[in-house]
Amino acid sequence: MKRAIEALEKGQQFSAASFVLDEEAVARYLEAVEDEALPRLAQAEGKAWVPPMAVAALALRSLMEEMTLPAGSIHASQELEFVRAVEAGERVTCRAWLSHRSQRGGWWVLAVGMEGTDESGRPVLAGRLTVMVPR
Amino acid sequence: MSQEAIGKERWVVGAELPSLAKTLSQEKIDRYARASGDFSPIHVDPAFAAQTPFGGTIAHGMLLLAYLSEMLTAAFGQAWLSGGRLKVRFKGAARPGDVVTVRGRVERVKGERGVCSVGCLNQQDGVLIAGEAEVGIS
Repeated sequence: MKRAIEALEKGQQFSAASFVLDEEAVARYLEAVEDEALPRLAQAEGKAWVPPMAVAALALRSLMEEMTLPAGSIHASQELEFVRAVEAGERVTCRAWLSHRSQRGGWWVLAVGMEGTDESGRPVLAGRLTVMVPR
Repeated sequence: MSQEAIGKERWVVGAELPSLAKTLSQEKIDRYARASGDFSPIHVDPAFAAQTPFGGTIAHGMLLLAYLSEMLTAAFGQAWLSGGRLKVRFKGAARPGDVVTVRGRVERVKGERGVCSVGCLNQQDGVLIAGEAEVGIS
């Protein structure tokens, strides 16, 4: 369910979202971003590594499905920590929460914390994004 | 700097990471939208984007971060995928036709981790993204 900015409160949890990047999705992503380095590393190590930014992008997408951001919203900053590499076919569950909400001039400033975990509940990704939303 | 540069003895403050450049197009932005599932109209709808302050479509910020990640993967290999940290600000929009250059430089070593300044510039040296990346030093 999409939530309007006015209805969000600091500390509020968003619904957890789960996703799997299979080898086909990874190949599609690598082609889209023209990444030549990750396939070389994966081949050298004999692993089907998922590009870390692909995991982050899907985590953000699942978050955006929860929020109604009006046109003109700006992705202002991004912090990410890749705790461990994810292999194609692994399921990642992303949890996110509103860590900050304030008003500055004609903008809402929203910060959202997030964590991605594997099927054992161990973290694979952590992050924080800041979005500026016109009021 | 190759993956061999992960070694502590290779962490020289001021050393530049090998840069890379990508030319954006609307087709590439659309392809990224399909791969990531982010079909926000500011990225994929030229008619809508023309009515915004940007005056046209812009690339996804996460697409530019993917370019940064490619540079860091090439430079640090597994140390980037497992334990890498990134902290950036989005400072400008990248548009179809722009040439995005990704750069990085070793700034300091603190304990078992190294810190690089990283950024994306357009063809006019306008800063699109600026920040820091941190990786473990094995």
